[in-house]
Amino acid sequence: MQLKRVVITGLGAITPMGVGPGPFLDGLAGHRSATVSMRDQWRHFCNLRSLVAAPGPDLNEKSVPRQNRRSMSRMSFYGYDAARQALADAFGSESDGRDHFSPGRLGCIIGSTTGSPIALNETFETMLPDRDIGKLTAVKFFQCVSHTVAMNVAQCLGITGTVLATNAACASGLQAAGAAYDLIRLGRQDAVLCGGAEELHPSVTGSFDVLFAASARYNDTPAETPRPFDRDRDGIVCGEGAGILLLEDHEHARARGAKIYAEVIGYHTCASGDHISQSNRIALTRCLRQALANAKISPEQIDYVNAHAAGTIQGDAEEAAAIREIFGDRVPVSSLKGNIGHTLGASGPIELIATLMMMRDNVIYPTLNLRNPAPDCDGIQHVTSTISRPMDTFIKNSFAFGGINAALVCKKMISEPALKNHG
Amino acid sequence: MDKQQVAARIATLFETEFEIAPDRLLPDAHLFQDLGLDSIDMVEMIVVLQKEFGIQLRDSEEARAIRTLGNLHDFVFNEIGKPAAGVSADPRP
Repeated sequence: MQLKRVVITGLGAITPMGVGPGPFLDGLAGHRSATVSMRDQWRHFCNLRSLVAAPGPDLNEKSVPRQNRRSMSRMSFYGYDAARQALADAFGSESDGRDHFSPGRLGCIIGSTTGSPIALNETFETMLPDRDIGKLTAVKFFQCVSHTVAMNVAQCLGITGTVLATNAACASGLQAAGAAYDLIRLGRQDAVLCGGAEELHPSVTGSFDVLFAASARYNDTPAETPRPFDRDRDGIVCGEGAGILLLEDHEHARARGAKIYAEVIGYHTCASGDHISQSNRIALTRCLRQALANAKISPEQIDYVNAHAAGTIQGDAEEAAAIREIFGDRVPVSSLKGNIGHTLGASGPIELIATLMMMRDNVIYPTLNLRNPAPDCDGIQHVTSTISRPMDTFIKNSFAFGGINAALVCKKMISEPALKNHG
Repeated sequence: MDKQQVAARIATLFETEFEIAPDRLLPDAHLFQDLGLDSIDMVEMIVVLQKEFGIQLRDSEEARAIRTLGNLHDFVFNEIGKPAAGVSADPRP
């Protein structure tokens, strides 16, 4: 069977830097941190040690028609806005993209760690005091379900192809892109809107805090954290937002003369199978090697590694060991979480989008707050200041609780003439 | 509470919950065809009315016959005039 080639033709992002990929890239270029103190907002929660976060922008939610809006939470609004951005990027703002696909040939795969944490908390706050189910509203359930973003975005956009939610915590969004890649490669979809979306809530930060995986030493100097790969790193900073990409069958994209950011040439996802919370360098190495094998390229052909590195003590060291094992100190490595925190299930696609734009602009932005590379993260080529150099091929990593690993390989496309117009 | 007061409170609820302009909230307005509500909205309406008027509607057969806003005014007015239901024999744990 001849597998299809898969290209990226549309990008959309909501990040702690603002709406759209542009403000995100400006923030990276300006070495800005989006981490702020949450001491006032979260003061009602006791025993929460981590009082920092990277909040996203407030959107005009009323712009969504009520009967779509009623089942959407903040993360779904983020996902919907980013999806519309991706379609506008691919087809122009006058089109919603559906006209370009046969019925059932455009899919939607969006992951998140859980359903809306805000809605989940509201549901239990409403129900539990009197154990009264009758107080639950009709629509809250649709915000709580694990596939809330995927189904709401698909409903709002009238998508009739495959709709999936990849719920694997911090690897959710990259798994969505990988699943989209596989579906298109196999010819089961012509294109898929894919990515991840998340929203902030103190219970989310608290979940990492109880595991001693959230940053708690920089509450008074929030811009100093997270610190990926740094000697003084102390955990993650939760962020919120969404990253959505349009992946498309190359022939379909070429036929309509689409702008192509890159070709997805390889992907792999696998589990470590040995610990529920701790990353494992052997499994990470296996994941990266398999992604390269899937792409049919050698490590020498990779120009940049966009690391997962969230600033945790254990995870960063394991990832550095895996990168060192495969790439040595030859390939530039940076993590963008120093700028926008860890947007969890959205982090893979958000950082993938930034990397695609870095590739377009021939620039590599550094790991913010990496001042003193930790000895246990040594032996790889840390990027500590902006580098201007051509980038043709990169690998994007995402690792998650549950020992779940994912890696995606993308390559710049040499422009080819468009085929005849395609309806 | 008279029927006019019931209608006024329902109008406020419909403005808030369903974002329907007051001038469309006429007694003969059909909930689905004229006001654009759907089955999910009807479930939401029951929850909101129960909370607002302290009545139980979830298992009401009569509620299923409601078609217009005027039907709803009559139904709620009749419900709030009924004697309160007895306490459940099955207390929560």
